[in-house]
Amino acid sequence: MSQKEQEIKFITGNVAAAYAARSAKVQVISAYPITPQTTVVEKLSDFVDSGDMPAQYIKVESEHSVMAALVGASIAGTRTFSATAGQGLLYMSEMVHWAAGARLPIVMTIASRGIAPPWNIWADFTDVISQRDAGWLISFASSHQEIYDSVLMAYKICENEEVLLPMFVAYGGFVLSHTSKPVIIEPDDKLEKFLPPLPDEKGWPHIFIDPERPMMHGNLIMPSGFYYEFRMKIHDEMIKSRHIIKQTALEFEKIFGRSYGNGLIQEYKMDDAEVALINIGGLALQAEQAVDELRQEGYKVGSVKLRHFRPFPTEEIINIAKKVDVIGVVDRDTAFGSPTGGAVSSECKSALHGTGIDTTILPIITGIGGREVSVEQQKEEFKKLIKLKETGEFPQDMIHGTLWDGILEVK
Amino acid sequence: MIEKKIIEIAFNGRGGQTAITASQLLSEMAYESGFKDAIAIPIIGAERRGAPIQAFSRISRDAQIRSYSSVTDPDFIFIFDTTLLKIPRVFATIKEGVILIINTDHKIEFNNNLPKNVKIYMVDATGISLKHELAIEGFPILNIPMLGAFAKVSGFYGLDIMEKVIKKKFGSRAEKNMKTARDAFEMVKEMI
Repeated sequence: MSQKEQEIKFITGNVAAAYAARSAKVQVISAYPITPQTTVVEKLSDFVDSGDMPAQYIKVESEHSVMAALVGASIAGTRTFSATAGQGLLYMSEMVHWAAGARLPIVMTIASRGIAPPWNIWADFTDVISQRDAGWLISFASSHQEIYDSVLMAYKICENEEVLLPMFVAYGGFVLSHTSKPVIIEPDDKLEKFLPPLPDEKGWPHIFIDPERPMMHGNLIMPSGFYYEFRMKIHDEMIKSRHIIKQTALEFEKIFGRSYGNGLIQEYKMDDAEVALINIGGLALQAEQAVDELRQEGYKVGSVKLRHFRPFPTEEIINIAKKVDVIGVVDRDTAFGSPTGGAVSSECKSALHGTGIDTTILPIITGIGGREVSVEQQKEEFKKLIKLKETGEFPQDMIHGTLWDGILEVK
Repeated sequence: MIEKKIIEIAFNGRGGQTAITASQLLSEMAYESGFKDAIAIPIIGAERRGAPIQAFSRISRDAQIRSYSSVTDPDFIFIFDTTLLKIPRVFATIKEGVILIINTDHKIEFNNNLPKNVKIYMVDATGISLKHELAIEGFPILNIPMLGAFAKVSGFYGLDIMEKVIKKKFGSRAEKNMKTARDAFEMVKEMI
């Protein structure tokens, strides 16, 4: 069914993801339920069942098969979608790598949750971060509207001939997946302008499988063959996708009027800020509230939303570091044994290496396994950055060089 | 009545009493009636029927709502089940100036244990739902009468907005739901 007028719906983040797949005119959905994602594929099942969405809906027996089905459907030239989370993403992992290696523009939303054991179903980005090196673009949404908008942008970026890689759009389980907010659902005429349907065989830049014209793909390649070069190309095009992401965010803003910074990062009150806090996901939006409250108290603080973890916005992080003396980098994920214990802060530190910039990075880990993070707590994080800037003193309770904020006392 | 920019509401119920849906409906109805922004925040764990459940709403007339964390200092508190008042962490949320909406058919004795300026409204939501046979497997659905009472107490949305949202959500079951809303709107009264 068509969407003639713009509509504002009061919906959960998961339902916003389902509407985005409908608005993107996705043709094939493959699904297996897992908390806290399940209501995404349930809503899509409703859409398909009621004739509201002319798509193939494939029910499979596991997440591994979800991605296998999407690999097949995508390589046949269709626009594909699914959603998963936590253990489901881990179980899918083999095919996740395959999708990127086969250069397929699949889009999947992740309602991120903590990894077991012990069982955990609440916000924690360790699931999607675990797929860091699979070759997928990884983006984080901080609001219900941003989930919807990011999925639309994701197809445009991934299907670009210069990219042809899959993308995760991740958001915190329950924090965004099950809370409800007003979300703008865009009308078809605008959507078609931004994201036209996939071209037929002639216009499709990818190889195109067809039972009428049998071919092999992904077969064994000797070390002297092009395997090595294929790998380099994935990295090369992932890095180059930065400018496609920027271009897409600009175009999105022009058509729909909603801004997402330069696409890779979004700054908030950074122009005269003395310290900055970088966040991923919902905490990035909540940090803006902390910034406003602290500015009323006279503190010059600014916030940065990291929208993309892959490709990593190296240049943007360097530019932030040029503006302020101290940056707090908040991970709602763990990267055990890494330099800082968190994936994003390790990357930010690495981005500054060799630049000659002596900005101090305070790595922070917070909200693991859905542990609640309040605005007050974020304000305290900012205050620790200010203290670090003014006195050079790091917080006293750091663990291996990282502030595990909000952690309970453990023996 | 409340001049705060962002109004915060806490819902206390037991699994099956539809407190989570109540928070979603309240936020949506406030948004429909002209509030600029609203969010509904359920606290989800291993739910089972009868276990204490919490949900929250934030509604705002002009500011954007950017916090996802749970409400710790509510302006309004819903008590779907009076036995919840015996749980210390529920009772602790009742602070000075709070407005309570309690599902009860009789006056509750607080024995001067309440902070200052707490206003209490009572409505027999269970009785109203049973009267109109609004129940799932024999358990009365409490969210609509509680929200009908809240419409009267807060003035944040009217019965017309309730009807619009309930029709959109519940289709043919809307009329039965609205009967309970109207009854509760009429019957809610201050507990003195």
